[in-house]
Amino acid sequence: MSFFHRLQCAVAGLVLALAALPSLAQTAAAPPAAPASAPAPSTLDGRIQEVKGDVIRLNRDLLVLEEELLFPANTQVALFVSMDVGKLFQLESVQVKLDDKIVANYLYTPLEVQALHRGGVQRVYLGNLRAGTHELVAFFTGQGPHERDYKRGATIKFDKGTEPKYIELRIKDSSGKLQPEFDVKVWQ
Amino acid sequence: MSVKLSLRPVQRLLAAAALLACAAASAAPPKPWPVPANEKARPVEAPYYGDALFHFFQDRYFTSITTLMASQHFDRVAAHRDEAEILRGGMLLSYGLHKEAGEIFAKLIEQGASPAVRDRAWFYLAKIRYQRGFLAEAEDAIARVENNLPPALAEDRLLLQSNLMMARGDYAGAAALLEGVAKDSPIGQYARYNLGVALVKSGQDEAGSKLLDEIGLAPAADEEMRSLRDKANVALGFSALQAGQADVARRSLQRVRLEGLQANKALLGFGWAAAELKEPKLALVPWLELANRDASDAAVLEARIAIPYAYAELGAYGEATEQYNAAIAAYDSEAGRLDESIAAIRGGKLLDGLIERNPGEEMGWFWNIRELPQMPYASHLTQVMAGHEFQEAFKNWRDLRFLAANLKDWEDKLGVFGDMLDNRRRAYADRLPAVQAQARAVNLQALQQRRDAVAADVERAVREQDPQAFANVKDRELLDLIAGVKQGLLDVGDAAEAERLRERTRLVAGALEWRLAQEYAARAWDAQKDMKTIDAELAQAREREAAVARAQVEEPARHEAFAKRIAELSARIKALIPRVATLSAEQGKEVQELAVAELSRQKDRLAVYSQQARFAVAQMYDRATSETPTKKDSDAPAQ
Repeated sequence: MSFFHRLQCAVAGLVLALAALPSLAQTAAAPPAAPASAPAPSTLDGRIQEVKGDVIRLNRDLLVLEEELLFPANTQVALFVSMDVGKLFQLESVQVKLDDKIVANYLYTPLEVQALHRGGVQRVYLGNLRAGTHELVAFFTGQGPHERDYKRGATIKFDKGTEPKYIELRIKDSSGKLQPEFDVKVWQ
Repeated sequence: MSVKLSLRPVQRLLAAAALLACAAASAAPPKPWPVPANEKARPVEAPYYGDALFHFFQDRYFTSITTLMASQHFDRVAAHRDEAEILRGGMLLSYGLHKEAGEIFAKLIEQGASPAVRDRAWFYLAKIRYQRGFLAEAEDAIARVENNLPPALAEDRLLLQSNLMMARGDYAGAAALLEGVAKDSPIGQYARYNLGVALVKSGQDEAGSKLLDEIGLAPAADEEMRSLRDKANVALGFSALQAGQADVARRSLQRVRLEGLQANKALLGFGWAAAELKEPKLALVPWLELANRDASDAAVLEARIAIPYAYAELGAYGEATEQYNAAIAAYDSEAGRLDESIAAIRGGKLLDGLIERNPGEEMGWFWNIRELPQMPYASHLTQVMAGHEFQEAFKNWRDLRFLAANLKDWEDKLGVFGDMLDNRRRAYADRLPAVQAQARAVNLQALQQRRDAVAADVERAVREQDPQAFANVKDRELLDLIAGVKQGLLDVGDAAEAERLRERTRLVAGALEWRLAQEYAARAWDAQKDMKTIDAELAQAREREAAVARAQVEEPARHEAFAKRIAELSARIKALIPRVATLSAEQGKEVQELAVAELSRQKDRLAVYSQQARFAVAQMYDRATSETPTKKDSDAPAQ
């Protein structure tokens, strides 16, 4: 065998080794029957998935306990923030007062604002209130039309009975006035 | 033997190898499980469903799924019952919980969900079945999807359908289907890339190359798409090399960026293409560039041995020998560095370093390793860390760390809950005697009797229309006064003055009676109204008394129930903590072993390179010896 032939056979071997390199852009879309996608319970992967499921269910039960213990239904009040369109207002922060006491002061990240734009509703406060009439005042701070600093308030008086109370602070666009609007919706 | 003839088998192997690599790389879009977002599909009709979406849209799946499940428990997402289930199923799927997710989707279909929900359920079932290798069942499920998928999933559906077609060899069908996907859609490009590779692998070189060529020439908007374009060009280049079309290969490989992830492979292939075209001098250009790059890359290591080969081809045997020797020295020192890396990995530096440089908030699906750990020769790990298997293994390890921290948090919180409950029990026990004493002090029965007596009086006064019965204190004083005066005047006799006083008394009494008669209706109404108030207050008092009595039974029972739940949940946490710890240790070891295995493979490759270089050096010496026998013989000292 000549020098060149031997050399090239050797290089061929090396190239094959190169082929064994793991892929660079492979992601989770495994081809059919990929073992990782169908872990049997006895495999390490299978046991990990099982434990993930168990911890998720445990968290659900813990959250239920936490809520029942700390915020019983008869005194519970939950405040939410939502945004409908929201093109006329760039939300930066929200302050909420319940019976003249500040209960929430929230500064938003861009990701959170985006989540609100996409239809998410943020539970900004969960607490307890006695039965009776209460007053809620919310201040929204951000940028309004023409990038002007904007601060607006919304207020409502509501009666708290023995059922949980859900109150939604809504930011809307008033296309007629070309101004943002802020209102309060009492769910129950 | 001519150089050309001897090179061909090399390149065939090389091309086959590259394609194997490409096929294994079967590229996929960045978000493999885009759970339907239901974005603005309809207004949120239950704020707690919106709350789950709020976390979901931030990729905080763990928070989203657990709060959603809690809300489902309290039945406060009823207005979005099916949507919530689809969302939950999708998130479970993203965590690899196929069985539970499958059950959710199957149940939704069974229950006759709305067409929009049903379509998504069938789509996800198809995806689960595809991932688990049940292709026929997956095709059956995807065939049941009608036209109600949200636009965000429409392309995913085409991708899944084309994957299924490819899996049963229907490449033409897959190609036709992918025609419907926009050229600038990442999902579509990935799918076309996979199809191109599949076609070449199945022997349909022309069709496959055409697809890959289209991707290789397509404009790319972002890094991800540019990287895919590079991959297509590399695949195309090696495919052409395999087919003996070195010039075509060179054209494709030239399009690969010099600094991308595929650059080293492309430079190596470009050199081989030049060598195939009998241009060893030109082959040296990319190979010499490669030789200066990070030595942990296999293409770089191979270039080190390819360079002397090119020199030998050029007849520069002295330079070739020198380069072979340099390569041997480089391989030896690289092997030493690999040993150091392996020792560092086994010492735990890999996992610690990776988690330190790649922290993450939650158990995440979309999370990827982006930063190399700080450890000696971290670049050895570039290849292994870019691999799907390693990424998934590390992600699982990281998820387990998240779960361990989550369990620890709850363990602490449950401790606080327990203390809180004890405080409540103590406060209850402290307050109970005072409340009981207060309750005893209020004699509701006596109050009821008094009320009944008053009610009877009012009833009689109304029945008999007795205005005096409703006389107030002042009126009653006046009545008493008049009665006293009348009585006094009886004994005075019939004097004129007495008669005048009697007349005045009669007038006053008449005036009072008149007024009482005038005010009778209003006073009777007031009295009846007061009776109603008394009744309401008495009823309230009775309710309070009952509530206090009930609380004395229920409150301790409630405390007991909470204590029981806390104990039960604590036990679950305590059982899970060691399970997670064990799995974490096992998974950590697996991650390390994956890295070590890759480094060992690199070492093996080095050993082969080194051995071949030594062999080549020996051959060179042999050749030199055999080519100059006369001179050497004459120069040789007498033995």
